[in-house]
Amino acid sequence: MSARSSSLGRRHLAVTVAVVTALSLAGCGSDGGEEQDGPVTITVWAWYPAFQGVVDLFNRTHTDIKIEWTNAGTGQDQYTKLQTALKAGKGAPDVVMLEFQELPTFQLTGHLVDMSAYGANDLKGNYVDWAWKQVSNGAAVHAIPVDAGPMAMLYRQDIFEQYGLTVPTTWTEFREQAEKLKAAAPEKYMTDFGANDGGFMTGLMWQAGARPFGYDVADPQHIDVNVNSEPAKNVMSYWEDMVDAGLADTTAYGTTDFYNGLASGKYATYLAAGWGPGYLASVAKTTAGAWRAAPLPQWTAGDDAQGDWGGSSFAVTDQTEHPEEATRVAMEIFGSDKDAWKIGIDEAFLFPTATPILEWDYFLTKEYEFFGGQKVNEVFVPAYNGIEEFQWSPFNSYSFSQLTTAVGQAVEEDTSWPGALDTVQQNLVTYASNQGFQVSR
Amino acid sequence: MTRIRPLPVATDPVATGPTGPTVPGGGRRRTAVRRRFDRQAAVGWLFVAPFATLLLVFLLLPMVYAFKLSLYRSTLVQGEVFAAFDNYRQAFADPEFRSGVLRVLVFGLVQTPVMIGLALVLALLVDGVSSRFARMLRLAAFVPYAVPVVIGTLMWGFLYSQNTGPFRFTGIDFVAGDTVLASLGNLVVWQWAGYNMIVLYAALQGVPREIYESARIDGAGAVQVALRIKAPMISAALVLCTVFTIVGTLQFFTEPLILQPLNPGAITNSYTPNVYAYNQAFSYQQYNYSAAISFLLGAVVFVGSYIFLFATRKRSSLR
Amino acid sequence: MSAPVATTSSPAVRRSRGTVGTHLVMALFVAYFLLPFWWLLVAATKDNDGLFGSEPLWFADLHLVDNLRLLFTQDDGLYLRWMGNSALYAATSGVGATAIAALAGYAFAKLRFPGRNALFALLLGLIMVPATALVLPTYLLMAEVGLVDSVWAVILPSLLNPFGVYLLRVYAHDSVPDEMLEAARIDGAGEFRVFRSVALPAMRPALVTVLLFTMVASWNNFFLPLVMLSDQNLYPLTVGLRSWYLSATIGNGGPALFNVIVIGSLVAIVPLIAAFLLLQRYWRGGLTIGSLR
Repeated sequence: MSARSSSLGRRHLAVTVAVVTALSLAGCGSDGGEEQDGPVTITVWAWYPAFQGVVDLFNRTHTDIKIEWTNAGTGQDQYTKLQTALKAGKGAPDVVMLEFQELPTFQLTGHLVDMSAYGANDLKGNYVDWAWKQVSNGAAVHAIPVDAGPMAMLYRQDIFEQYGLTVPTTWTEFREQAEKLKAAAPEKYMTDFGANDGGFMTGLMWQAGARPFGYDVADPQHIDVNVNSEPAKNVMSYWEDMVDAGLADTTAYGTTDFYNGLASGKYATYLAAGWGPGYLASVAKTTAGAWRAAPLPQWTAGDDAQGDWGGSSFAVTDQTEHPEEATRVAMEIFGSDKDAWKIGIDEAFLFPTATPILEWDYFLTKEYEFFGGQKVNEVFVPAYNGIEEFQWSPFNSYSFSQLTTAVGQAVEEDTSWPGALDTVQQNLVTYASNQGFQVSR
Repeated sequence: MTRIRPLPVATDPVATGPTGPTVPGGGRRRTAVRRRFDRQAAVGWLFVAPFATLLLVFLLLPMVYAFKLSLYRSTLVQGEVFAAFDNYRQAFADPEFRSGVLRVLVFGLVQTPVMIGLALVLALLVDGVSSRFARMLRLAAFVPYAVPVVIGTLMWGFLYSQNTGPFRFTGIDFVAGDTVLASLGNLVVWQWAGYNMIVLYAALQGVPREIYESARIDGAGAVQVALRIKAPMISAALVLCTVFTIVGTLQFFTEPLILQPLNPGAITNSYTPNVYAYNQAFSYQQYNYSAAISFLLGAVVFVGSYIFLFATRKRSSLR
Repeated sequence: MSAPVATTSSPAVRRSRGTVGTHLVMALFVAYFLLPFWWLLVAATKDNDGLFGSEPLWFADLHLVDNLRLLFTQDDGLYLRWMGNSALYAATSGVGATAIAALAGYAFAKLRFPGRNALFALLLGLIMVPATALVLPTYLLMAEVGLVDSVWAVILPSLLNPFGVYLLRVYAHDSVPDEMLEAARIDGAGEFRVFRSVALPAMRPALVTVLLFTMVASWNNFFLPLVMLSDQNLYPLTVGLRSWYLSATIGNGGPALFNVIVIGSLVAIVPLIAAFLLLQRYWRGGLTIGSLR
């Protein structure tokens, strides 16, 4: 099933472009230039924190569109609802928040509108290559990027000083420092490895050059599955050793034990994504001022390999009756709007994908008290720019679930982690074949 | 539909209905009576109609729909195709499904005696001792039943925390692979023991005290009275509590789902058949396979409970 | 042995006072059942840092008022909406289900109509069908008629209470006197009038039981509203609290709301427990209905 793009029979492309440009530059509303009987209501599903402020801002600055926002659940909860609504033919919102990893899944349903018909390609220049490729396929655009999660290492400056650790730049050094820490303070860990978070593990493997999937929406029946590639296995092997040597903990991310570990100094580092600083600041308040940010350690000294963990976009569903307005919402609600991003940066701790915002002084040189005044984004922005292309499977929730289960069980039962990847590979190949895909490596 | 834990009932399910007044011959009389019964029939149907409609729409119709769904296959690429019993065949061969089934069976076999045993002990204590403590216990044990399962699970999730929970001095990792099932069992016991206790206690209240007196006179001690006399007298209630506990454990769903974030490596997406069915539908969009699993589980529970009730019918006084 | 003791005690209960041993055992059990509530109470006074850091069973810095304020202002007072929703669903499902079950139970017990026994047998057969097997197909069916994501999606399925019908049938059969029904009919009362003025009062204890149990089941219901509802403004407390919990554990969903979840749990169960304590006799009475004779 190919994506249905409904045509309105009118071409207001020039006007739309002008309006979009005006809005994004001026940040204030102006007449949409279309005849309406009052503002068009566009329903949006999103779970961004502090989002109400962004919605209110949009509604204040747009007289022709009114956003009705619903938090339909976090993560899989929302995806489930969206899937069933799309399948049932009713109940889906006009605009929906979709993480990058979920985009192929929803593209495959054929229910995402190709926004290029409404001028989405005009924003292409605002986004770096890898991010734009996440949301587009050639000229077709199925989502507008909002935020991303470039990975970096957040570390406890005070613990490093106390035990004479140096900031590692390679994974080998990371291990060496971990051993040093363990010798001096056996109850501490260098970091916690969250085997329950598929995005986290994938981000690390992404950095190492692993590409578990090759999937092109233009050729939807064909998929390459290569989950147990060399680089991926190397990453798993490394972390298995770290855990076995007692250098990394295996507490699940997001649990109170994990937060307790962050707050109590049990973990000397936290391998984080771009949204990590704000997240850390909210869960480990008692450690304010003690953390610093540094680039993620490299596999080869001097390299600039990066990985991403999380990141989201806005897509338009084909149940919308106003695809043009919905596209505008997707493009403009965050877009490159500085006022909206102020909220996004300060209150929601999002890491922006729009280049104008990334280069904006307010963001780039923002000093974070939690990090002793460090301009943390000066670490994250180069990381973001260094990320390379990556493709997801069109059954991501199944893939992630297989990954976390297999690695989780390897941790529980003390079996080989690279072996777990072999299991995942096998299961995913079987699954994909059962689903009618032609699978290759 | 509303899911209430059923109560033990002893009386004959389909007793004879009320008899109308006898009508001595006479054609007009008979017509009058018949008219009355016609009216009763109409009213009867009227009264039963709302319930019957709900039964049809929310029980029978979904069941039929679920069965129909389970006969199809829906692939991501090709859409829906008729697959007859392929889904069922797949389920039987599916290692994840099988381990889930094994798990709930083991869980049921271990957890049920613990639960019923505890409930019995509590009931006997509360019945045999007349003190403030006993009354307090009767109340305290029943309060967890008032708490939604979701909240009870969240509470115990915090209590099981290794760094910040009150049991951390034991050093036990409550959510580790080999202990998490027991931890979930504890949760279920905590939540339902009081309810079962009250049921058994109510049954005990129905036992004539004279029996205890004569046993006492014969020299039986309190414990002997409890085990040899009280317990067998409430065997019907015991049987029914057991059945419903087993039925509940086979359908285990909410607690593992809520606790899963604490250790997804141990509490997997196929931890119990219901969790598996839920994830098949809502995480992987495999509605047809999910329907097959639900149907299979439902059929097993359904048939199993009736077999069990039949086998113990003398005990449970259900004829 | 000693001569038989003349029993001077009345046939009423003569129970022992219990030994130290039994009291110790009972005390332990009381502690077991009540410990989580104590923890909840203590935890509700802590902020996040307190939750992650301090002794779990004793107080740290008191933030009870802050937590309460946070709870009721979080997401623009969403928690209060959830409470209202839970109450709405419980009340309507409870009253509705009980009314429907009362009509049906009475009809099965006291009215003759063709197909009655067959329908009742069907009911019995279906009592054991696991509810979870029905939720998803019910969802898809309701999506067809556009009723999903509405209060009806949660209330309508909850009106079905086969076991309540069974219970009320048994009770009506045993406790509604035929003579009084006949008398009312002879006096010219219509069937509904007969039902209302004769049967209902006689069935009252069982009605209260079914009402209470249905309301509790609805208040505690999780799976059905989880599946049916996407609009968070329609969530009951169970689904709402879990959605906050998911946000807290998912990591990149924002600040970890654990203290709000804890206080939210406390506030959610306080009315339940209060109701329980106040309505004790109905629970105990209800559980004996239909018990062994």
